[in-house]
Amino acid sequence: MYLQPAMKSDDNKKAKNFQSEKRASISIRTKIAVSYSLFFILCVVISLWSFWIISTLEDTIEFLVITDNYLAEIQQARRFEKNYLLYGTDLDEAFEYLNRAKKVLNENKKTIKKIMGEKNFQIQSEYMLSYWNQLVKLKNAKDSKSRDLIVPMLREYGGQMVSFAQEFVKKERNSVSHMFLLAKRIPFLFISILLLVMVVFVILFTRQLMINLKRVMEYTKRIGEGDFSPIVSKSKYKDEFSRLADAFNRMTKELNNRHNIILESHKLRAIGTLVAGVAHELNNPLNNTMLTAEMLKEDFKILPDNEKLEMIDDIINEAERSRIIVKGLLDFARESKTNIKPLKIEKIVNDSVRLVANQVKLAKVILELDFDKKLPNIHGDEQMLKQVFVNLILNAVDALPPGGIVRISIRKNRIPNFVAVEVKDNGSGIPEYIQSRIFEPFFTTKGQGKGTGLGLSVSKGIIRKLGGYIHLESSSGKGTTFTVSLPVTDSPSDIMSK
Amino acid sequence: MEAKKLKIMVIDDENIVGKRLKPALEKSGDIVETFENGESALARFDEEPFDIVVTDIRMEKIDGIEILERVLAKSAHTKVIMITGYATVEIAREALSKGAFDFIAKPFKPADLRAIIKRASKELRA
Repeated sequence: MYLQPAMKSDDNKKAKNFQSEKRASISIRTKIAVSYSLFFILCVVISLWSFWIISTLEDTIEFLVITDNYLAEIQQARRFEKNYLLYGTDLDEAFEYLNRAKKVLNENKKTIKKIMGEKNFQIQSEYMLSYWNQLVKLKNAKDSKSRDLIVPMLREYGGQMVSFAQEFVKKERNSVSHMFLLAKRIPFLFISILLLVMVVFVILFTRQLMINLKRVMEYTKRIGEGDFSPIVSKSKYKDEFSRLADAFNRMTKELNNRHNIILESHKLRAIGTLVAGVAHELNNPLNNTMLTAEMLKEDFKILPDNEKLEMIDDIINEAERSRIIVKGLLDFARESKTNIKPLKIEKIVNDSVRLVANQVKLAKVILELDFDKKLPNIHGDEQMLKQVFVNLILNAVDALPPGGIVRISIRKNRIPNFVAVEVKDNGSGIPEYIQSRIFEPFFTTKGQGKGTGLGLSVSKGIIRKLGGYIHLESSSGKGTTFTVSLPVTDSPSDIMSK
Repeated sequence: MEAKKLKIMVIDDENIVGKRLKPALEKSGDIVETFENGESALARFDEEPFDIVVTDIRMEKIDGIEILERVLAKSAHTKVIMITGYATVEIAREALSKGAFDFIAKPFKPADLRAIIKRASKELRA
């Protein structure tokens, strides 16, 4: 079967290497889910923090209220203590207020402990107890002497009891205002963090999206130009984009197969064109052989030996001529897999010129060759390149009236590491408005049934596949030049050794 | 009666054609001259007309159709036999419509051409 796609096994191998199967799988969906979860956790943390601050504030305010009560009670107690010492009023009222203070402490033990801590609560209770004890001693003192002994102690404990509580109130007031400040700042803090997170998210995420989308766009452009080499997903993980890349590779493989079928069918068409010329060309050596053999037979008895020998040589030479004509066509037509190797570009061009010699002669077109000397080897497939050059020369011939000139030149080093083959005609040129469409498949300027519109698109596909470039320069009245640039190879050609 | 010798011109850019046809056609006693291009043939024709012209159609510069036209313009009674490399109806029709006597497709045997020339000479002598 001749439609076997070339390069298939090659592509398979390559595609396998590029598969993203082995990468860890982190899809974009997972990334979004993880991002939103983190975002949710952040919200929860901030809300909990806010809740904690507000409940602490609540406790502290409650504590302050209690402590205020307590302070009022003990200060009242001290006032009665002073009145007792100064005016000899009743001391019982001091006890009553102290009792009330004690009651406040005991009733709100839990709240106070929460704010002051166990230890400070103990100290506070001890101060009060000591004061209480001194007060009891004062009440029981019979004379002014023993009273004078108690009073300094009483004053000290009383002072300590009040100032300790006042210190605490002061401290807690500060902490309350501090916490209010914090509570006021939380929304702003939250907004800032949110903004930061969003910016980072947008930058990282959308950038990755945009880069990947842009890359996909570049790939489609490249594939449109006929470059079917597999693409590699740049993402580190297996995600939607690497799956897209895999899908793209499957598609390009499929496209490549179809492209090869088009290539093959186009080649068949070119062969059809060439066969007409070759049949024509073959008739000349056949005719010469026929005439010579007939005359040799007819005059066998009367001809001198040397003339007979000359006629036999003619027959052999004409048979050889036929063989070369047939071989050229067979080399071109032979179905084979892509075989990329170092090639002599001048041989490829000369072979192509020989193949189309008859069409050129029939069209009465003059063909000029102008090759640079010491051309480097190029990298390509012999048959594919012949197909391109045959196609370009036939196009040029078709575009020319009798007497037109096709000039084929090979230039080295116009672009570093490339050899440029120019096929130039002096025809009427290609109008500018169709130049951009000239490489499109099925676009043809030839009449219905004359061209498939595949020649140039197939040629471009071949040249791109071989890593080269093909471009067109044309202006009305100045003719058309197609330039094929092919990569140079350092490896020596093995054509000569064959 | 001894027939008058006919003057035959053979034009083909393949030199073997002339080389082999000259002795083949001379056997009938006619005079044969061979040419490998249209210019020298027409120049010779200008010197003196030939009775029969056998010409290949496809040649560089001056092709068989042009030779046919110029020969007939010069000498209307000359019989022009066309050799085609590859017989197509269009070429045959064009040649015949322009006054060719007949055409013969490559590859042919000397005997085939002799038969056509024989018919032509009959007409010439009639």
